[in-house]
Amino acid sequence: MIESYAILPCNGLDKCAGAISREIAIKLCENAGNEMICPVFYRVAETKYNKIAGEHPLLVIDGCPTRCASKLAAEKSLKISKRITITEEAKSHNIKLSSGLRLQENENTLVELVLYELENAHDNAAVVSIESNTSYHFDYESFQNGKFIFRVPGNPQIYFNENDCWAYVIGNRARIGVTDFVQQNLSDILYFTPPEIGAEIDQFGEVGEIESSKSVFELISPVTGKVISVNKTLEQKPELINENPYESGWVAEIELTDFESDKELLIGFDKYFEIIKKKVEDLNG
Amino acid sequence: MSELKVGVLSCSGEECLGGTISRLATRKILEELKFVKTVTLCLPLYLAGGEEERNFAKVFPTISVDGCDKLCAKRSTEKYSGKISGSIDVSKIIGIENALNTKIIRNKDLKDEHLEMVDKVASEIVKEIGRISPDSYSGKSFGGCGCGSE
Repeated sequence: MIESYAILPCNGLDKCAGAISREIAIKLCENAGNEMICPVFYRVAETKYNKIAGEHPLLVIDGCPTRCASKLAAEKSLKISKRITITEEAKSHNIKLSSGLRLQENENTLVELVLYELENAHDNAAVVSIESNTSYHFDYESFQNGKFIFRVPGNPQIYFNENDCWAYVIGNRARIGVTDFVQQNLSDILYFTPPEIGAEIDQFGEVGEIESSKSVFELISPVTGKVISVNKTLEQKPELINENPYESGWVAEIELTDFESDKELLIGFDKYFEIIKKKVEDLNG
Repeated sequence: MSELKVGVLSCSGEECLGGTISRLATRKILEELKFVKTVTLCLPLYLAGGEEERNFAKVFPTISVDGCDKLCAKRSTEKYSGKISGSIDVSKIIGIENALNTKIIRNKDLKDEHLEMVDKVASEIVKEIGRISPDSYSGKSFGGCGCGSE
């Protein structure tokens, strides 16, 4: 494993996935340095667990898509370094979980697989990520609404979709991310789920998620292609998206497969600038 | 009239043996004893704002099972769903020293003596369920708790 974690498991008692989250958390805590945060006692002993969460990167283990542990982390304004959801892990490994609460062969296999992946995650990512050395320059236009300032880059190489994502296209590559509208709306971003490197993404397909205490935003890819790099820094510092969603807060780089076709469904600066202004006006009445 | 169900909201904490015993005793009630229509409510989900869990505890008689005298389950039930129908403090059944044991929390580390504690606590939960009068049921209709544990 990359480093020692503060581990916040779901620990739920009504589904097998909750029991698995607990088992993984306990096994991880048998390794020196990892510490568990009890999701129940955290509401009573906040000081103790805030200290643990402040000293280690936070690993959240949710049992099911209800994501109670993630919600608790958001409620306590904890920054999540890594998150796994047991039901999604089971699906990706094609393992059927039982309806009971006792861990049997399938569940124990999943526990071992998840533990193995957690321990090897860093090495795998380092091998396949190929970030370009291209320099990206941004010329911004901005407008203000109340105390909020919205910036939109006006470079002709930058395209937008109406889902508030941008693509900076150079040659057969595009760097993508979200616009100021997204980060201002979400407020403090606490967690970033990157797309998988090597994943083939369709235009308007999902290409990662960002999450704040207010809501979760699915990034909708402006372009079609293969993910060749992701901004790994965001996993530790998702707040970079708030600081600058176009530069330090970029999300991924895509090797384009048919940009000429993608372009027909994208818009340039002029149109997007008008759209974002209208969205902001509508939002604020 | 809706069928009578009894909710059990267990500590499921990680701090000490009492939490583990609470969890296992509640599971035993659910899986083995099948005493009346028992429904386990997920405490982390309940605390995270699960409306179905909270509504269930408002409408149906619910028993809290706490691992230690901090009484996280009891207090949270009273906070979000009102008065509870019964409560079990595991530390009073197995002793405070046992309940606060922080060395043994994993199921695999449990010895016969701990499994006997599980049985003892499960018996107390059964007694508490038996004590609850069907008259305590509010009679309001409810569309199912959705906790997936029935």
